[in-house]
Amino acid sequence: MARSIWKGPFVDAYVLKKAEKSRDSGKSEVIKIWSRRSTILPQFVGLTFGVYNGQKHIPVAVTEEMIGQKFGEYSPTRTYYGHAADKKAKRK
Amino acid sequence: MARIAGVNIPTSKRVPIALTYITGIGNNVAETICEAVGIDRARRVNELSDAEVLAIREYIDANVTVEGDLRRATTMNIKRLMDLGCYRGLRHRKNLPVRGQRTHTNARTRKGPAKAIAGKKK
Repeated sequence: MARSIWKGPFVDAYVLKKAEKSRDSGKSEVIKIWSRRSTILPQFVGLTFGVYNGQKHIPVAVTEEMIGQKFGEYSPTRTYYGHAADKKAKRK
Repeated sequence: MARIAGVNIPTSKRVPIALTYITGIGNNVAETICEAVGIDRARRVNELSDAEVLAIREYIDANVTVEGDLRRATTMNIKRLMDLGCYRGLRHRKNLPVRGQRTHTNARTRKGPAKAIAGKKK
């Protein structure tokens, strides 16, 4: 079910604070965040976030099209290298 | 023969049913069209006058995305997701279910026919 509009988009407060800080400093650095559940807001466009995937921070350069989605969508948590049988089949 | 929205030639069926043969028009939209153009739902396509067919055609052109345009829009949306590098896009790229379904079993619609794995039987 979709989120109620009257609540507004959900963003963890510390993400907003960090984003604002890096905006003001003007430097282009990776902002490390753990909050995969936060919505990507319009004011995040142009910034680069390091979104934690449970192991490391994946750099995500936010573009306009990403607005409204969650950070977690851009930082996959699973690595799949394929099955051993697949490799054998490919070699043939 | 009634030609509406390009290639579709549904005839001798009731108008709302015949309209659903067009990609992008289901029962609901078909009924709306009939109402907007003022055609009785019980009438059949071969009973329609040229003017009525034209009215339907114009209504569809103006208000509904159908056929090629619709398909193009859909593929564009999917392509957009794939280019973004988001989770939904990755799932599309790998031809796996996009909306969180299980893949341990099932998911054959997306994965295609089951491939035999050598030496799996005991």
